[in-house]
Amino acid sequence: MRLLALLLVAVLGLAACGGADPEAPAGGAATLPGPVPADLALRPVPPGTPSAPVFTGTLTDGTALAAADLWAERPVVLLFFASWCTTCADRQDALSDLARDYRDRVVFVGVVTGDEPAELEAYLRAHEAEFPVVVDADGTISRSYAVREPGAVAVVAKGGALLRGWPGGLDASTLDNRIRELLLDEVSR
Amino acid sequence: MPRRQGLISRFGAALLLATAVGGCGGEAASPTTVRVLVRDINIREEGVDCAGTGAYTFFHNRAPFRVLDGAGETLTDGRLPPGKAVRTFEEDLEVERIPTYCEFAVPVSVPARSGYQLVVDDQPAIPLTADSGALVAVVPS
Repeated sequence: MRLLALLLVAVLGLAACGGADPEAPAGGAATLPGPVPADLALRPVPPGTPSAPVFTGTLTDGTALAAADLWAERPVVLLFFASWCTTCADRQDALSDLARDYRDRVVFVGVVTGDEPAELEAYLRAHEAEFPVVVDADGTISRSYAVREPGAVAVVAKGGALLRGWPGGLDASTLDNRIRELLLDEVSR
Repeated sequence: MPRRQGLISRFGAALLLATAVGGCGGEAASPTTVRVLVRDINIREEGVDCAGTGAYTFFHNRAPFRVLDGAGETLTDGRLPPGKAVRTFEEDLEVERIPTYCEFAVPVSVPARSGYQLVVDDQPAIPLTADSGALVAVVPS
């Protein structure tokens, strides 16, 4: 009886931790952001900034995603990567940390082309990637952003303006600086 | 009795020879390198890991490949390593990111044949040419 009680306490304790569900597919619906923080202050978008290509897609667990729904409320960082991309892997741990730091204020969305589901899942878990990942099976989304190979990054302002893209990608520290320069007002820093 | 010993000796020698030949797995294979230059002219930093672009996105790290002989028999297979970005011309553009090709180099061991082909991710076979001890291809040729 005492053992049963201990087990119950342990199970309840683990459930209360609120961590990522180990059974849920990495990059799926469980990684979608929560409400936008009330104190999020953003820079105005420079006039004449072009619109980001609008896309819809499917997350790793089959959940439908409309990018415009995300950037209607807050900025979005698009990470174009693949599990076989060595440059992506070298940068991913720090990018995953950055995505966690900005969660709910700036949403990171992975866009993956040319990958095997099991290898992608292993990659996302190995690099503790806890952001939504769109499976761009035929490369349509990547092509619409002129991404020719994985490792690219694009920053979209709230409202859908395409602020900047980096075809060769960039490391987390530089991306953090660019997010602050491009998106965040002094209040939000 | 000596005749019987001679028979046993000859049988033993034949058995050893057969075992030796069988144990080698058939033909002797020689080490070489398959080199493929994917001329995709993409803007990259020279020397970074790369994958093929455009019509050659199937050339990437961990992509499955097979080396065939001229008749289409598979000689060896494996997975590609990452490509390396190589400059398309020597002129110094004074910028970090320059027009590059993506070159793949894969060590393999294959038996001697008059012709070789490379198949990557079940795409159409690409003829390989022996050149300076390597088997090379340039795509598009």
